[in-house]
Amino acid sequence: MLRLMSDTQMTEAPVIWRTTEPPPIMANQFEDLRFTFVTRPGLLKITLVNFALNLLTLWFYRFWAKAKVRKHIWSSVHINGEPLEYTGNGLELFKGFLVVFFCLLLPFGLINALISIQLGPESGWLTLSNGLFALIVYVSFGFAIYKARKFQLTRTNWRGIRGNLVGSAWTYSLTYFGAMLAKSMSLGWATPAMNTELQSQIIGDMRFGDGAFKFKGRSGPLYPTYAICWFLMLFAVIAGVIFAGPIIYLILEPLMSGQPDQAAQHIWAFLLALAGVLLAYLVLYPLLWAIYQAKELRTFADYTRFDGAQFRLDVTTFDLVKLTVINVLILVFTLGVFMPFVQRRLARFLIDNLTLEGKVDIDRIKQSQAQVDTRGEGLADAFDVGGF
Amino acid sequence: MRVSAIFFDGEHARDHAVEVWVENGAILFEGPGVNRQSWKLSGVHSIDPPAEGQPFRITHMDRPGARLVLKDQAFVANLLADAPHLRDGHYAPAHLKQVALWTVAGIAALLAVGYIFLTTLPNLVAKALPQEWRDKVGQQIEKSVVGDARQCDAKEGVAAFKKMIANLTPPGQTLPEVTVRVYDIDILNAFAVSGGRLIFTREIVEKAETPDEIAGVLAHEIGHVASLHPEEQLVRVVGLQVLLSAISGGSGADLVTNTAGIAALLRYSRDAEREADAYARDVLTAASIDTTGLKTFFKKIMKLDTLSDLGKEKSALDRIGNILSTHPDTNERIDAIKPLPAGVKAKSSLTEQDWQALKKICG
Repeated sequence: MLRLMSDTQMTEAPVIWRTTEPPPIMANQFEDLRFTFVTRPGLLKITLVNFALNLLTLWFYRFWAKAKVRKHIWSSVHINGEPLEYTGNGLELFKGFLVVFFCLLLPFGLINALISIQLGPESGWLTLSNGLFALIVYVSFGFAIYKARKFQLTRTNWRGIRGNLVGSAWTYSLTYFGAMLAKSMSLGWATPAMNTELQSQIIGDMRFGDGAFKFKGRSGPLYPTYAICWFLMLFAVIAGVIFAGPIIYLILEPLMSGQPDQAAQHIWAFLLALAGVLLAYLVLYPLLWAIYQAKELRTFADYTRFDGAQFRLDVTTFDLVKLTVINVLILVFTLGVFMPFVQRRLARFLIDNLTLEGKVDIDRIKQSQAQVDTRGEGLADAFDVGGF
Repeated sequence: MRVSAIFFDGEHARDHAVEVWVENGAILFEGPGVNRQSWKLSGVHSIDPPAEGQPFRITHMDRPGARLVLKDQAFVANLLADAPHLRDGHYAPAHLKQVALWTVAGIAALLAVGYIFLTTLPNLVAKALPQEWRDKVGQQIEKSVVGDARQCDAKEGVAAFKKMIANLTPPGQTLPEVTVRVYDIDILNAFAVSGGRLIFTREIVEKAETPDEIAGVLAHEIGHVASLHPEEQLVRVVGLQVLLSAISGGSGADLVTNTAGIAALLRYSRDAEREADAYARDVLTAASIDTTGLKTFFKKIMKLDTLSDLGKEKSALDRIGNILSTHPDTNERIDAIKPLPAGVKAKSSLTEQDWQALKKICG
């Protein structure tokens, strides 16, 4: 497995390597960057072998499986003909899992067991301990996301240069926690502002080598679309109540007045209506919000710059819905085994629609000496927020 | 054959056009701004398995950041012939061998840990548990087992149980501290829980015909207490539960509340039952109390147990199983109980008057 270079390895280069001469002074080439997704064969084999090994190892192989899939998908993403490269390995992910298991999950399991033995299962201390655990989980959600993103970026190489996130995961984590509270307390209306702030933090911390990404823009332009989605949702809820209300009344009224027999007559209508409403929301909810999500993706890309170039992501609501529906169907019909194909479809979708307008002075970019974590994504694995 | 390729040094994003060739088991390259370098083929490995239409990218183990990108298909084909290990894709034989090794080692380690977890460790931890803890847990388990059944506490009956324990105690010895409680439950059973708590049901008191039968069961349960079986089982079940819940992300708190948890707590292994039987036999013999009481009572329980199973819905308490039903080799256990040695005169385990009081403990 490939190891990442460290400073010491650089200076202790063996004799076969001579770096005494500086690179010749040449005129820097400012380049247009083109993203292309070049499908590689072999993902089916990776998927099936991973599944078999997962079964054999009671899913402990999942860390290595994940690294394999990433290597494959990363190498399909070409920028100006040169593929991305995933340099991480399963062991790093496994170590991340071990740390979270022994430092968070196991201690809480033990503490809860001790409390329930010593003070009884109805003890207030048990509620307190569970509450504390939930709080830790909620507060570290953003931390997990940030660290996972950082880990993936430091394991992503292009032209031999790796990415990174150079900010504080704790700052992001606090913002994330605050954003969750603000979103729920404002009935969702804080979402565009909060998402913009979160994205601004992450993109602002993002590096490729020593080159920085920049994120600049306000959340204002997102609000008209958000308002449309919000009111459409409200309308849908009202429509649901108008439709299901009479049926609920039919069953509630006799129940209240002590005539359960009459209520029983309508039980099937009631259940059918309930199922209908639930199903409608299950389909309607993601469809409606896809309008906003597409707008957010486009806007955030517009706000993002690297060097002299500006990102653009041409996704429409329809594209997003199509992608999601087919992905969900793949997962449902393969019981989740074909997750790698879903991930590849997602990567392909983003890369196919992503363009960079303007020139980038690639030759000026050097490797960054910022620290690289040696293990990763333990929390993200535990919370299931790792993305790829 | 010399072909052109691209080189990245791992320090700069700048690409370098180089000329590449193979010579004496090494790949060499040089170009404008790149001094001639030689990578021994044995130290070279590929970034991705070779694929048609894709540039073939290689690196050297001493230069993990550097990349040589080869686009000439004929050159790549020759290189692969010279260094077949570059063909290794995502599942190189070495990788699969490693996975197999780790899997086998992992399963072996799990089995070893599991064995220790289930055998030696519970006994060690059980011995180390403070008395106060044993009591508290016992109290909880007892509460879960009996539910809201009434406790039978007729004064004379309780006193009779105490006298029976005194009679059971062999001269010059002490038995472990136990408390006996009888509950108004119509299931034929008796069990020992953590902290020396013995629970008898009304049914078992009523179905016994002689005091020696109760004395036998009592001695058997005291045997469990003496060997710390309840505490051992507790450590075993709690340990497993904590481990499972930590992996699945639960809280590990529901172990003493659900019936499956209680059932697991009160089910002892075959060896534990044999140990308790042997203890009962030794105590009864040393106290000169007729062991056939235990023997006949075991037989009785076996018979009643089969009868009661017919057409009866099983409750949580039934699922726990009684002192016999844990394992099928009941007959063997019954046969193992030997009568008192010849010449030893059997004492009575309880006077007739006390026996009547004990029978009426539930009023």
